[in-house]
Amino acid sequence: MSSPETGRAATTGRGRLVAALRPRASRGQLVAAVLCALLGFAAAVQVRATQDSDLSGLRQTDLVRILDDVTERTARLQAEARDLEEARRQVTNDTNGSRAAVEEARGRARTLGILAGTLPATGPGIEFTISDPDDEVTADVLLDALHELRDAGAEAVELGTLDGPRVRVVASTALVDAGDGAVEVDGTRLTAPYQYRVIGDPGTLSAALDIPGGVLDVLSQNDAQGLVTEQDEVTITSLRPAPEPEYARPAPEDGDD
Amino acid sequence: MIAALGLVLGIVAGLFLEPTVPLWLQPYLPIAVVAALDALFGGLRSLLDGIFDDKVFVVSFVANVLVAALIVFLGDQLGVGAQLSTGVVVVLGIRIFSNAAAIRRHLFRA
Repeated sequence: MSSPETGRAATTGRGRLVAALRPRASRGQLVAAVLCALLGFAAAVQVRATQDSDLSGLRQTDLVRILDDVTERTARLQAEARDLEEARRQVTNDTNGSRAAVEEARGRARTLGILAGTLPATGPGIEFTISDPDDEVTADVLLDALHELRDAGAEAVELGTLDGPRVRVVASTALVDAGDGAVEVDGTRLTAPYQYRVIGDPGTLSAALDIPGGVLDVLSQNDAQGLVTEQDEVTITSLRPAPEPEYARPAPEDGDD
Repeated sequence: MIAALGLVLGIVAGLFLEPTVPLWLQPYLPIAVVAALDALFGGLRSLLDGIFDDKVFVVSFVANVLVAALIVFLGDQLGVGAQLSTGVVVVLGIRIFSNAAAIRRHLFRA
């Protein structure tokens, strides 16, 4: 730089730079070169170390902070996992509970359907046939027999002729004398011989009809004949449409159940 | 010219030798590199100013590196190593920028 041969050209910055780029081996130049080489080496090494690993180049405080972060994050995620598992268990329980509730409601609907006559029913019971050659059996007699059967625990009752129409007997069933020895049951005209088909305990039912002064006695006094046969399985298929209540609505229950 | 060759040579050696940085040097190396960069830009500026001196360059280079490393070391001992490192880098960065601005004025006259 201060050497005489470059002095004249080195009046501007560019001139000095060009002059400096001329290779000259002086001690100062060599030392500067060594330092520059050291800088390049260190820079390259540092860049490579930074790229190689994120953590090994960090100081202790940073590492502690990162460790804290990771620990905290782990705890947070574990808490979240616990919450989610709890929620999942709850949902599973709820599902099982509602399934049980649906099953229970379905069972109750079946029971009510049998009682209301909207569902066919089957079970042990009796067939009670009333032959009435003289048309002496009136609706009163049939109604007495029905009361007797109900008292004896009849759960589903069907009244009909031997091979004619059959009517499901429910709480609101009306039996009316229709003249000419016929009986009208809920609007269906029935003529003798009548037949009750009843589901209930067969022994109790037949015993209830057979008591002295009971239904069978009254029938024989009227020159009619009652025949009770106990059956292992009586199937009642006649149905009764469920009336839709026009005014009554279910009252809200107190409490949950 | 020789200095530029030395720089290139050093970079190439660092890239191809792939040495591992010793553990005790790891916190100081990046700061030392930045300090040396500052010295390098200062030297380049003085060269363009026409006042470059080999001895001054060598001394400023070594002193820059040592002082930067010392400050970081001190900061580590005091528990504020990260903050002091940031401070040193900021100061050196400002100096590098001002030197680069001077160099730019010399080269492009703008």
